[in-house]
Amino acid sequence: MNEIPQTAPAKATDTETVEQDLYQKRKKIYPREVHGIFAAMRVAGVAGLLGFYYLMPWILWDGRQAILFDLPERKFYILGMVFWPQDFIYLTLLLVVAALSLFFFTALAGRLWCGYACPQTVWTEAFLWIERKVEGSRQKQMKRDQRSMDLEKFSKKFLKHFLWLAFALFTGFTFVGYFTPIRELAAAIPTLDFGGWEAFWILFYGFATYGNAGWLREQVCIYMCPYARFQSAMFDKNTLIISYDEKRGEPRGARKKSADPQALGLGSCVDCSICVQVCPTGIDIRDGLQYQCIGCAACIDACDEVMDKMGYAKGLIKYTTQNRLDGDHTSIFRPRIILYASILLAIVVGTIIGIINRSPIDLDIIRDRNSLFRETGIGTIENVYTLKVINKDVVDHAYNLSVDGIEGMKLHIQKDRIFAESGAVIELPVSIEMDPDKLTQRTTEIFFKLETIDADMSITEEARFLGPLPMN
Amino acid sequence: MGENQVISTEDTPTIQKVIAVMWPSFLVAGMETIVFFTLFDPQYVFMDYDVTRTGAYSIGFFLFWGFAILPCVLTMYFARPCKPCAVYKDELEPQDK
Repeated sequence: MNEIPQTAPAKATDTETVEQDLYQKRKKIYPREVHGIFAAMRVAGVAGLLGFYYLMPWILWDGRQAILFDLPERKFYILGMVFWPQDFIYLTLLLVVAALSLFFFTALAGRLWCGYACPQTVWTEAFLWIERKVEGSRQKQMKRDQRSMDLEKFSKKFLKHFLWLAFALFTGFTFVGYFTPIRELAAAIPTLDFGGWEAFWILFYGFATYGNAGWLREQVCIYMCPYARFQSAMFDKNTLIISYDEKRGEPRGARKKSADPQALGLGSCVDCSICVQVCPTGIDIRDGLQYQCIGCAACIDACDEVMDKMGYAKGLIKYTTQNRLDGDHTSIFRPRIILYASILLAIVVGTIIGIINRSPIDLDIIRDRNSLFRETGIGTIENVYTLKVINKDVVDHAYNLSVDGIEGMKLHIQKDRIFAESGAVIELPVSIEMDPDKLTQRTTEIFFKLETIDADMSITEEARFLGPLPMN
Repeated sequence: MGENQVISTEDTPTIQKVIAVMWPSFLVAGMETIVFFTLFDPQYVFMDYDVTRTGAYSIGFFLFWGFAILPCVLTMYFARPCKPCAVYKDELEPQDK
């Protein structure tokens, strides 16, 4: 059970067992540094995404932070827009769009997300970079780890963890900066005088980053990621996968560069095991498609380099599809792709239209619960309501309120002027007085209409007017 | 042969067990926190206590997390393999030989 066939390593490469078995204790994986087109793309992706993450909270829009999820105020600023808890539907739609995009891109091109954009990959890549800068190459790291502790080892480890922790805390600081104005947080750095909860979340998120990207790494993908487990449901024979060309590669074996593989009865694979050494999840791509493969394409870059050195054609490991491997035609536009794409497009367009047409006023009507109606003593009856006016607009507004539904209603507002600053919620107690003889039923629907003074925006909400049983 | 076929939780790496408890509960707690505090303003929920909104969200999140950890631990506990009772053992033995 525990014996997984090991590839015989060629001379000059080390013999570290990197393959993992669920039943074995985890062995630390030391991914070898790799150069090539996909590595360059990944570095560009990492730099772009991390740059966005760390810079975005510092960017201003109309004098305030461009992206701020102001939890204490329950307002979410995204560029020029303000979202409220009442706009929860858009968050739901955003999550649906995210899920559908994942389905779409997975069906089309496999695990693009995992290899290039997943935060786990991005931060692990950054942490690996720090580790290599401090501890040196894969071989150096492995040799040092086998040695018992000495001053050199201790100082390298100390420096590495110090840098990791500093980077992780900065990550946590930036994370909290999306929820609390980051300039205020930054001003508190010299004295470390953060609010208690802010300090807590900086430490919590920093610690999570340090743990996930520094220690757990590929275990996050293998044990924690649900996507890795159900991705096979989204794959088909036309999905782009990273695969080893078994027909061309086998039988594998070491040989001299000058040797003729055909004469030796060998395929193109020189069995150098470099594809295994570069793998961040420690798998052997030559064993076929595995759920641990995050599609980072490190093995493609590594193998192409070896093929170049040997003077063989590149692409022994490459992006391909099952159909192409089988010698069939690969089709991009297939029902699954078209279906995902059209649903995705419909929801994205719908969400954008919804956001553009979002009403910048909101009106909640709460009936006084203590009494159904009140007799005024002059023969009329009165209903009492509390109106909540929410100004979701980016500018202040004054409003007019009117009511409609029954002839002869008198609206009493206990304020001279209805005014709400941008983003404010105001409570407005109002009462409606009316002659009970004019009521034809106990409950009548009435309509409150709130409009801005300049009358370019309005909202109408329904309420009920209660009275005594009509006499006639 | 027979022993290897039974994949028991004893063979699961500790890290996987820890993750199987802490991680799903974390995800669920996150979702619960978002939905709960969208519907209820923490200033009303924690009216009687002197807690800021940020504090209320944080406390709420950890309460949800704690409550979600409990079923995960219980699931893990009940998923432990049981010894087959004597009746089945008799049926299995001839095949093993």
